[in-house]
Amino acid sequence: MYGWIWRHLPGNAWVRALISLVLVLAIVYVLFQYVFPWAEPLLPFNDVTVDNGMAGTAR
Amino acid sequence: MARTEHDEPRRPARRGRGRIAATVSFIGELLITVGLLLALFVVYSLWWTNVLADREASRQGHHVRDNWANGGPGALNTKDGIGFLHVPAMKNGEVLVKKGTDTGTLNEGVAGFYTSPVKSAMPWDKKGNVTLAAHRDGHGAKFHNIDKLKDGDAVVFETRDVWYVYKVYAELRETSKYNVEVIDQVPKESGKKQPGRYLTLTTCTPVYTSDYRYVVWAQLERTQKVDAKRTPPAELR
Repeated sequence: MYGWIWRHLPGNAWVRALISLVLVLAIVYVLFQYVFPWAEPLLPFNDVTVDNGMAGTAR
Repeated sequence: MARTEHDEPRRPARRGRGRIAATVSFIGELLITVGLLLALFVVYSLWWTNVLADREASRQGHHVRDNWANGGPGALNTKDGIGFLHVPAMKNGEVLVKKGTDTGTLNEGVAGFYTSPVKSAMPWDKKGNVTLAAHRDGHGAKFHNIDKLKDGDAVVFETRDVWYVYKVYAELRETSKYNVEVIDQVPKESGKKQPGRYLTLTTCTPVYTSDYRYVVWAQLERTQKVDAKRTPPAELR
């Protein structure tokens, strides 16, 4: 998979490395900005209230 | 080795092995990717959400203090925050207290007072229980050190005009999230039978998960008027 991506990137090794870095940063950005904030309330790590299990519901 | 006719039949076998190798390495890369994703999620939960929440809480805290300084709505303004919680034993500075315990509010790095299932009292009420919740980890982790609180520790609630000094008198180290009685106006589980001026902190436990809830009860010991320089009470010095 990663090998395939590397082979399909244009340019020489330096250009590829730069593009790879940009891709990695873009993925991390999307994860931190959109994916993790969406996933976090669905996971049972951070419910802090006593509330008959209604945590996370919009009130 | 010299090429012979033996190479011919071997070729499909070699191609088969290549396909298996490719599949195995693809699965391996997939597993590495999942591992990296989980590691990133931990970084996000335990570090990045703190950065965001602390920034937001300090912005909102300044806003509240500016309002106080400029004679804004102050103590009765429940929208921006009603005051600050200072718990020296938790070593986390001041925590802005706002209305509501929904995820959006608590994720701003503040402590929220309950509006449901049992409505919280306000510190200035004659009788009642001020019930607060905040995150144990991530999103400011304002109650991370709740387990450091012992009987007799000070919990100070600062409003525009008054310091309310509470003393811890009971802890419940593990309870069910369905145990809403802990935030009753007279919290019987803490041993109290008469109405009084109580303060209850709730968060999740054990750390990094939320299987149970951790509860600390305090009761009002004294109040102190805020002076012109906002000199903190002895408990905070």
